[in-house]
Amino acid sequence: MTVTFQLNGDRCRFHDDPMTPLLDVLRQEKFLTGAKAVCREGFCGACTVHVDGEPVMSCLKPVGLVSGCSVTTIEGLSSGDQTLHPLQAAFEAADVVQCGMCFPGMVMSLSAFVRDNPEATRPEIKTAMSGNICRCTGYERIIDAVADHLEAQKSGRQAKETAHV
Amino acid sequence: MSETLSETAPELSATVMDLPRRDARDKLRGRTRYTVDRVRPDMLHAVLLRSNVPAGRIVKLDVEAARNAPGVRAIATGHDAPGLYGIGIADHPLLAIDTVRYHGEPIIAIAAETEAEARAALALVELEIEPLAPVLTMAEALAKNARLVHEGWRDYEVLTEGGAREGNIAWEARTTRGDVDAAFARPDVKIVETTIRVGRQSHAPFEPRTAIGSWENGRAHIETSTQVPWTVRNVTGRVLQLPPGRVRVTVPPVGGGFGLKFDATIEPITALLARMTGRTVVIENTRQEEMATCLCRENAEILIRSAVTADGEIAGREAVVLMDCGAYGGEQIFLSTMTAHTLGGNYRVGAMRLVSRAVYTNTPPNGAFRACNGVYNTFALERHTDEICQALGFDPLAFRKKNVLGDGDLGATGQVFEGDVLGPMLERMDGLRAVTGTAEDKADGRLYGRATTVGTWFVFVGPSAATINMNADGSATLVTSGVEIGSGTMMQSLPQIVAGQLGLTPDQVVVREADTDSAGLDVGVGGGRTTVSIGAASIGAADEVRNKLFGFASELLQTRPEELELVGGRVAIKGRPGSGIAISTVVQHAQTVSGPITGTGSFTGKPVPSMSGCAFGHMIEALEIPVFVVHEAEVAVDPDTGHVEVLAYRVVQDVGRALNRRAIMGQIQGGVVQGLGYALHEAVTISVDGRIREDGFETYRLPLAGDVVPVVADLYEGAPSSGPLGTKGAGEVPILGVAAAIGCAVANATGKQVRELPLTPPRVLGLLKGRETAPEFPHIAASFEANTLA
Repeated sequence: MTVTFQLNGDRCRFHDDPMTPLLDVLRQEKFLTGAKAVCREGFCGACTVHVDGEPVMSCLKPVGLVSGCSVTTIEGLSSGDQTLHPLQAAFEAADVVQCGMCFPGMVMSLSAFVRDNPEATRPEIKTAMSGNICRCTGYERIIDAVADHLEAQKSGRQAKETAHV
Repeated sequence: MSETLSETAPELSATVMDLPRRDARDKLRGRTRYTVDRVRPDMLHAVLLRSNVPAGRIVKLDVEAARNAPGVRAIATGHDAPGLYGIGIADHPLLAIDTVRYHGEPIIAIAAETEAEARAALALVELEIEPLAPVLTMAEALAKNARLVHEGWRDYEVLTEGGAREGNIAWEARTTRGDVDAAFARPDVKIVETTIRVGRQSHAPFEPRTAIGSWENGRAHIETSTQVPWTVRNVTGRVLQLPPGRVRVTVPPVGGGFGLKFDATIEPITALLARMTGRTVVIENTRQEEMATCLCRENAEILIRSAVTADGEIAGREAVVLMDCGAYGGEQIFLSTMTAHTLGGNYRVGAMRLVSRAVYTNTPPNGAFRACNGVYNTFALERHTDEICQALGFDPLAFRKKNVLGDGDLGATGQVFEGDVLGPMLERMDGLRAVTGTAEDKADGRLYGRATTVGTWFVFVGPSAATINMNADGSATLVTSGVEIGSGTMMQSLPQIVAGQLGLTPDQVVVREADTDSAGLDVGVGGGRTTVSIGAASIGAADEVRNKLFGFASELLQTRPEELELVGGRVAIKGRPGSGIAISTVVQHAQTVSGPITGTGSFTGKPVPSMSGCAFGHMIEALEIPVFVVHEAEVAVDPDTGHVEVLAYRVVQDVGRALNRRAIMGQIQGGVVQGLGYALHEAVTISVDGRIREDGFETYRLPLAGDVVPVVADLYEGAPSSGPLGTKGAGEVPILGVAAAIGCAVANATGKQVRELPLTPPRVLGLLKGRETAPEFPHIAASFEANTLA
């Protein structure tokens, strides 16, 4: 069976078992190794990608279920020499990365979260991160960076609104 | 100290900075290629047939059907790699030969075109194991007439002399200083005894152990996710019975290690299969395999006994520490040495004797985990200290201030401590608490407890080598066997150090990934040693480069070398920045005149002597650089559920000299949270058939974002250190004091003695209901001497 979907903006065809996890298609067929196969059971979030803009754990998603969908991986979030997603830039600037294995998934799930929750509080950020395990950092500095990013976006918006007035 | 500072002050000011990581951007974009991301379709995939019993004899192993299965290219058995390896004792085969000693032990390896074909072939192997009664606990292993896990223990090659061993005791390390019997017999002392039991901790690095082996021009080349490229090289040589020089190990970025990758495991198998097939072979542990065969922080059983006077003087102390090494000795044999420096640390003690025994069991082998041996010994020592305070009516904080190690005090081996460090650090904790305030109001009706504990660690320095090649553009390439495991050493401290030495900016320092063919020997990344050892070797290499630069520049500038300095990318006249000549010009000049400018440096720690006759079976004479921590935890215990919430956490950490404060803060936050997992909910248990039950993220409860608090830390600088620029390792110790601080805080909250970890809700409820009793160890004799082989 052939499954067709958009992958980082390009058409992608997969000719094999539609029950193959999307993660395996990405890593083994497309060599997009940004999504990490860490637990393969949906606990760690390191394989998170966007399917039609929503964060999805690609280890639990049979590729057949993304037929006709648009899949964005970490490689597609800021490709080539495009500027980083502001959240990636915030993480880089705050020096929160350690081994880095969890960050592609962390960025994919939190980029959707900050898009949908621009007013999120610190406890809400923490809750949103519960699906992304990090073994190195102890989380708090990542949470700081997300909170700072939201604050910066907010003051950016406010500055714009003030300018319009 | 001040003299040293003034001498190095220009370098320090050029070295100390909050340099961000150079690898962060690629990691954030998913572009970093860890070993696990380097699998290509033309590689063979290897899978391992593992034992499904904890102990037995292989009576039938028929691989013919598997050999003929589709896609299969090679099958390796133990007979293909007959050499044994180990640390101290060579007791470990690469693949089990005749005998299996733990559930999950690899027996054969099959390489096939695809992983699916390899797994299908695995199912065709005819394997019969005649089970033996397993020895699953240290109590069973030490019982009279216990079955020997290694019947032939006497025949093993001894790689390091000096340890007493017998039967199921793989190694025994012992210290004696002073007359302990006399101290305990004093009429003015009270004797306090504490028993402690802790389980294992699983590292759960996000990148599992993965290796890619190929056979190139008659040599093995292994690309692997390891902390110890030179160990992988040497072990591969041993088991394949090749000169180690015929093995090359290269290390891509490592996706977390925490000590798990401080030993060779699957790597030599890929080399063996590559030799057999002429193809590149990959082995990647599944998450289940990774956790079921994790070289965990070992479970341990501790009895500690002290004689203390009514004035609060610790006259005598003795302790027995049993460390479960699992089926093979591995790291525990070395770590038995550490007891002298962890359990034997923290306090001034009149007379002391300690024995630590690494014990064989038919369980998966244990290994090294961040602040190995220290985490539970610190928990034991600090709980014991609080029990002393309770028994004699001392204030725990005042008792610590009175008794912590200070200048001139003796450690367990008789080595002498320099400088007052822990005392001032305790004062700094008081200061930190005054600033942050306490969080008792957040307990909200639950049981509140706070505790302040201390910890002692030692950096084992060991050999390192570094080469610096100066480039015509004025940049420098640093070549070492260092590995970036996430701690930032290779990304931050080393480029900062080299840049500071050579008057460059850190981005002008290229850092080569570890390759045993291009860099000299290194013990590996662990124990907090990289910044210290590779840093010192790098400074040595930079010295040579600087002298050469000064030599050429002195001719070009007609100035004496003593009047020159390296600053801002130039060889400048001292005190006149911008003067002189660009480093790049000097390098280009040298290339035409006498060849490229290079420098090499090598380093190993000078051991601090122990007192003669104090230490027995110690792998190293003494440990070079002491590192101290003070940790303080505030907890709330829910009396209905037994749930422990951490309300606040504070750290004062001895860092020697902080080269990158922000990076150290990141290590502290991360290390403390790993410690919170260990203290509160990370449990590894062994089933009746010798299996690690918690072999996935569903059953092994890692800390999540909602579990943690921001750690407030104060970096204590200026303590004596033989490390370069006064540094000490900062990434290892943040985990050291966590179980101690949490354990003591929970004891204070509940009014109950905390003697076991982790403090899961059922265990804490048991404490509150009086169902948890002190662990009893019938296999630890009442008399100290009866617990030693001496």
